[in-house]
Amino acid sequence: MKFAVNVIEALLIVAIAPLVRGVIARVKARIQNRRGASVLRPYADLLKLFRKEDLVPDTASALFRFAPVVLFAVTVTAAAFVPVLHPSALLGVSGDFIVLVYLLAAGRFFLMLGAMDGGSSFGGMGASREALVSTLAEAPLFLGLTSVAILAHTVRLSGIVEFSVRQNPFQLSAVHVLAFGALALVAIAETGRIPVDNPTTHLELTMIHEAMVLEYSGPSLALIEWASAVKLTLIMALLVGVFVPWGMATSNSLLGLAFALLAFLFKFAVLAIVIAMIESSLAKLRMYLVPDFLGVASALAILAVVFTALMR
Amino acid sequence: MGLIGLAVAKALASSAVFLFVTVLMMASAKRISTCIVLFGLQSAVMAAQIVALAYAGKLLEAYAIAALVVVVKIVAIPYALFRIVRDLKAPHDTASSTTVAQSVFIMAGLILLSFFAVAPYAKTLRIDENMLASAVALVLSGAFLMVSRKKALMQVIGLLVLENGIFLAALTTTFGMPLVIEIGISFDLLMGVFLMGLFVFRIRDTFEHLDVSKLRRLRG
Amino acid sequence: MDLTQLTPFPFALTVDRMSALFLLLICAVGTLVVLFSISYVERHYSGPKADWMWVLLPLFLLSMVLVVTASTAFAFLFGWELMTVFSAGLILIDGDSERRRHNIFIYLLMMHVGTAAVIASFFLFLPHANSLNFASMRAAVAIMPMGVRNAIFLLSFIGFGTKAGIVPLHLWLPKAHPIAPSPVSALMSAVMLKTAIYAFVRFTFDFLGGGPSWWGYLVLAAGAVSGVLGVLYAIAEHDLKRLLAYHSVENIGIIYLGLGAALVFNANNAPIWATLALTAALLHTLNHALFKSLLFLGAGAISDAAHTIDIEELGGLLKRMPVTGVVFLVACCSIIGLPLFNGFVSEWLMFRSFIAGAELSNISAAVILPLMAGVLALIGGLAVSCFAKLYGVAFLGRPRGIEAEHATEVAIPMQAAMALLAAACVTIGVMPGVVLPPLIAVTQELLHSSSPPEPALSISRTLPLVAGCVIVLIIAISGLRRIKRITPTWACGLPGLNSRMQYSSTAFSKPLRKVFARVYKPDRTVEIEYVNRPYFPKSVTYHSVRTTSFENSLYRPAVDAIVAMATRLRRLQTGNVQVYLLYIFLALVALLVFMRFA
Repeated sequence: MKFAVNVIEALLIVAIAPLVRGVIARVKARIQNRRGASVLRPYADLLKLFRKEDLVPDTASALFRFAPVVLFAVTVTAAAFVPVLHPSALLGVSGDFIVLVYLLAAGRFFLMLGAMDGGSSFGGMGASREALVSTLAEAPLFLGLTSVAILAHTVRLSGIVEFSVRQNPFQLSAVHVLAFGALALVAIAETGRIPVDNPTTHLELTMIHEAMVLEYSGPSLALIEWASAVKLTLIMALLVGVFVPWGMATSNSLLGLAFALLAFLFKFAVLAIVIAMIESSLAKLRMYLVPDFLGVASALAILAVVFTALMR
Repeated sequence: MGLIGLAVAKALASSAVFLFVTVLMMASAKRISTCIVLFGLQSAVMAAQIVALAYAGKLLEAYAIAALVVVVKIVAIPYALFRIVRDLKAPHDTASSTTVAQSVFIMAGLILLSFFAVAPYAKTLRIDENMLASAVALVLSGAFLMVSRKKALMQVIGLLVLENGIFLAALTTTFGMPLVIEIGISFDLLMGVFLMGLFVFRIRDTFEHLDVSKLRRLRG
Repeated sequence: MDLTQLTPFPFALTVDRMSALFLLLICAVGTLVVLFSISYVERHYSGPKADWMWVLLPLFLLSMVLVVTASTAFAFLFGWELMTVFSAGLILIDGDSERRRHNIFIYLLMMHVGTAAVIASFFLFLPHANSLNFASMRAAVAIMPMGVRNAIFLLSFIGFGTKAGIVPLHLWLPKAHPIAPSPVSALMSAVMLKTAIYAFVRFTFDFLGGGPSWWGYLVLAAGAVSGVLGVLYAIAEHDLKRLLAYHSVENIGIIYLGLGAALVFNANNAPIWATLALTAALLHTLNHALFKSLLFLGAGAISDAAHTIDIEELGGLLKRMPVTGVVFLVACCSIIGLPLFNGFVSEWLMFRSFIAGAELSNISAAVILPLMAGVLALIGGLAVSCFAKLYGVAFLGRPRGIEAEHATEVAIPMQAAMALLAAACVTIGVMPGVVLPPLIAVTQELLHSSSPPEPALSISRTLPLVAGCVIVLIIAISGLRRIKRITPTWACGLPGLNSRMQYSSTAFSKPLRKVFARVYKPDRTVEIEYVNRPYFPKSVTYHSVRTTSFENSLYRPAVDAIVAMATRLRRLQTGNVQVYLLYIFLALVALLVFMRFA
């Protein structure tokens, strides 16, 4: 029974990923006084792309079409690590958050290679900028997750979530607040949202993620877009699970799980609205101010780790 | 005490964390108005602390102090500062000498320093280590703001944060200062802010800018 | 094996668990490198050069075997010096121009400085041990005062650190490794550096039995600095072999991070976590030997096919050299530490031990060890960028030079050697249960602890599961029917694309180099030639030189001080025979006085 629920959790993240994108886009449109496209638009986009041909540049090698496959596979595997409905996940194992971070890094590495295989300047530009952002985001991501892991005296994500569930929601813990600050900033950088990267830009010189996928089309592009949405969803689920997990089911009863599902959808809706509001009110940072942004995240993460020893 | 009472009690227990958060946000603030708002929030937290103490210890004096804090530090001074910012018609950025990341790093280091400094006293005086550490952190961050920001208004705000820290330290160690002293300090502050406001306009009119790093005619 | 009867000094060889591990490493990698060299030497050298190659290569391997199996100090130092001599000889085979001789000189010089420190640390055992074989040295430590033990630790740290290549003693690495023939570079980088690690572990854990916490902090600091600076210097390089040499510095730094953590755990009485940290360090040693040799052999294959190792002239090699391209990709993924490859296993174990450090009761250890996890994450992130740059510029896209365009696949023995190394990397990465139990046995013997650390066993169960998931998904998605059509590169409709429009290696690393500008301190000159007036430049020359900051701030003052002292001592050499006789006479008088009063 538990196994079935875990499988459903993992599939849930993969399935609602495009919906999350659609909701964010719709809320942004409303803020900008437009009607906006339907929230189910990303599904239509994916379907359209899957039915088209894959255009491959003549200078590219077999890696060009292989990279999106790897990216999607590792991102979906990473999604299996995140607890959604109750504090355990399909692949919840000891030290799993380390595996999760490195799986995401693997996907990013292959995407950078695929970008450079296109043989145009834009691929290299996107890969080079993505290298800058992701390099500086690794350390605060790790340190943030490490600090909450140390506080919870466990190294499994499920253990961390269980510890957070047992906390009193009104009592702020310094480590959790600092780690949340660091991880929120890193999440913005990792998922490529404003103020680090504009996911809806059409100007090549302002692109980071979009420049990497400029040469891709058809099913390859569909896989990349879906993987990117899954990554956004799984990082949101990670933040929600570690910092605001109340509402998760503690038993396997159907009623508990149904309530957990509603709580999960509600928290996700709120988070999507918050993301849309942040994106509408901030401007994208100049690229050489992004290291400064990530430096703040690093400072908060280091402080969080030091506080785990001070607050003992 | 009821559910709300319990929630409020828990929230007050984590007010030290909240003060640390405001300190870090002040380090990364890019506009003067953000700093003024954060100062108001810090004062609100301290007023809540005083009210909790008054409720627990049944001290009527403490309610008066809390009311004083609310009037002076949450209403009067921020209002005065906002008016000065509006009338100056100058750029609203905080003109820092360090980048945002460097400020946050230094502020984090200051927070850690305050914990180390407070550690031996907390055990002997039997007080909440976190509250005293947050008080020292406020003092240090007020001083850091005064050192690293180039606008005259930011120096004022740094001074206000520093005084907040001293007040909080007194609150934590002696469970409140006598009412008379508190009234005296508050009025001093209010006068200081108004005088600073006057001076700021004079400086701007004489030198055409408010950058204190350029006010060096007093050199020997 | 005791050969003391044959030699004037005590000379004996023993093989215990740790020696066995390093012996396996040397022989496995050595065999595959020799396999590679069969066709490499045949194609690149002829006549006496090839003969010298085949004489010195086995001797080099033999000297390394001697170092890890020696059980007397004399045998150890004999092998140690032979390693340096034979590798210098192998480098000389490739040519002896002025610049090459200068680099070899610096290599030999620094090796001897290190060896001097090592000999000094051996001699410090003498008053307490009755003979210089390892067994009596081990016994002598129990009666040594703490000051002597500290001195031995510091001297061995400096001596073996010079050989291993930690910052700031790494200066010889980027000078010596790139100028050697590729198989020799592979052996030097992958195996020779590991003998230094072997010796350091033998001294610190076997003889000295661990020590106070500050030893661990010193090693951690050295590891952190080497790791970060090594990869930062590598990012700025576009000479393939220099880049790989700097990555060796980085990986040695990572190994030292593990060793430092083990020392700190040992000092804080946490034997299980010390076992885990030491296992992680030793596994990373093994992994590094595998993937670094693969990378250098790949560099040899590239230089064989494209006749250049400057990656700015390469490109599009994956299409033209598929086997080399695939195994090089495996090596890149391994060194970055991606899951399913062997680098990930050792890095995971290291992360796990750092997080466990927060459970210690000592506050400074509980704070420093988790922060080292952040340093390791930073190193990993930088490595991802560097290898994305390397692989993307060298193997993907369009060829940037004529040679790269006409590159073809290399000979079968070379392919076979590289493929076997790649297979080893993937095997350890997917099924770490193959190597972890023997490694745990090695560390348990070293640290005299009994129970195996649980995380090491759990990763052996977890990784095959994760690997299975990823591989199943990849196969499932690849099976989807996707029609493909080959078209010219779109690039937003820009016409006339050529290879010069692609990102070069310097361009790729520019953002990172700008962020870390304080490390590089570049020296830039721009010369503009004008026609008549300054508005019409005829040509612009841009010249940027990076000096690694240690050369100016550390080495130059030290060298100047030594030269100044030597100049002053030169006055003793007056050239007058009577003065020399006077020196001998004075020495005799002093000896008589000393004997009277001693």
